Amino acid sequence: MPDVSIFTDHFGIYMKGFGNTIWASVIALLGSFALGTIIAVFRISSVKPLRWIGTGYVEFVRNIPLLLVVFVFYYGLPSLGVTLSGFVCGTVGLMVYTASFVAEAIRAGIMSVPSGQSEAARASGLTYMQTMRHVVLPQAIRIVIPPLSNQFINLVKNSSVLSVFAGFDLMYYGDQVAGKTYATFDTYIFVAALYLVLTLPLSFAALKLERKLAKNG
Amino acid sequence: MIVFQQVEKHYGDFHVLKGIDLRIAQGEVVVVVGPSGSGKSTLLRCVNRLEAITSGDLTVGGVDVTDKKTDINKLRREIGMVFQHFNLYPHLKVIDNITLAPVKALGVPKPQAAETARMYLEKVGIADKADAFPSQLSGGQQQRVAIARALAMKPKIMLFDEPTSALDPEMVGEVLDVMKTLAREGMTMVVVTHEMGFAREAADRVVFMNKGQIVEIAPPKEFFEQPKEERARLFLKRVLRH
Repeated sequence: MPDVSIFTDHFGIYMKGFGNTIWASVIALLGSFALGTIIAVFRISSVKPLRWIGTGYVEFVRNIPLLLVVFVFYYGLPSLGVTLSGFVCGTVGLMVYTASFVAEAIRAGIMSVPSGQSEAARASGLTYMQTMRHVVLPQAIRIVIPPLSNQFINLVKNSSVLSVFAGFDLMYYGDQVAGKTYATFDTYIFVAALYLVLTLPLSFAALKLERKLAKNG
Repeated sequence: MIVFQQVEKHYGDFHVLKGIDLRIAQGEVVVVVGPSGSGKSTLLRCVNRLEAITSGDLTVGGVDVTDKKTDINKLRREIGMVFQHFNLYPHLKVIDNITLAPVKALGVPKPQAAETARMYLEKVGIADKADAFPSQLSGGQQQRVAIARALAMKPKIMLFDEPTSALDPEMVGEVLDVMKTLAREGMTMVVVTHEMGFAREAADRVVFMNKGQIVEIAPPKEFFEQPKEERARLFLKRVLRH
């Protein structure tokens, strides 16, 4: 049985980290969803340069470790004269990294919408973007929800990368508490529990949404 | 209204359309028939540039379809299209299927677009289905919604790509009836179909295609009773036997 006093004694610190992890996750989640959607649309565009940008982005970003993506922002930008905090670099890095996976999931969803759908929309005079926005994406999103929720759960867990860059997230403060109390195992049990508080509802929400959308088929 | 001049189309090594010359006048109903793979659907899909032609000239209402400067979306708003598999948007109600393009592409206010949509639903005989989802309708009803959806843009031309081929036999009539009404009202129509009865009754001219070429163009009476070309005779013998 873990020592509950470790949690209660450091409750404020845990909560500070928990709050920052929520912030980083929410920002990165919304950002990666928006960015990933744009990249996915680029990837399947009939305009070649857009397709190259989309493909280049996905293949480059998703094939290097998340830690190195954040490195680029944390150590790379200062050489260009831009210095950002660990929190910002970690969150932006997380967003950029996750966007490549989100893009792939959304692309697969878009590809699964029958081509007749976009043909009908384009034939009626809607632009490519209008077709995407009103016809293809709303249908793709149903198919995309399971893989997307996976990515978002990964994102919450991956936000622990912030701790490496003094990002003041849950893992960062967990390290602090462990360093102070030397009760490493007990400390991280509570860290894990707090991550679960975020990820489990996300899992359930995804499942519920999936069922709801399936019903309106 | 639609003018093909020496139009060629290749899919890689496959020569789909060969030297197509065809002029379709305003208000004319042209039915395109021929064996599978003869290029009928491709011919139709070139008119609104769902397929790009490889060479030749193609104009619709005097507008060059192939010209990069042509605003293709503007041109497409004037050309309604009905597909074999209906292609209704499954996530939208019937009424929203119909109002989407008028609202988004033409900028018609939503209430006005809905009113127009209901009028066309009435015209195709399913006014009571406005709030249903496509999956709740029969094939024949879906295709009639698709026709109403195309008409709601008030197009100058209607293209039909095998509109009854995916329907149960007993639903074919209700769709053809709507098309016959349109034809009588003077709509310019190009119809790819295997329904010879429709061709005979509603067409001004029948175009017979084979292997990417237009083999014969004739008024329906002439085409069905004394086809000039051997290939057309063979085709008619096969399709009209049963």
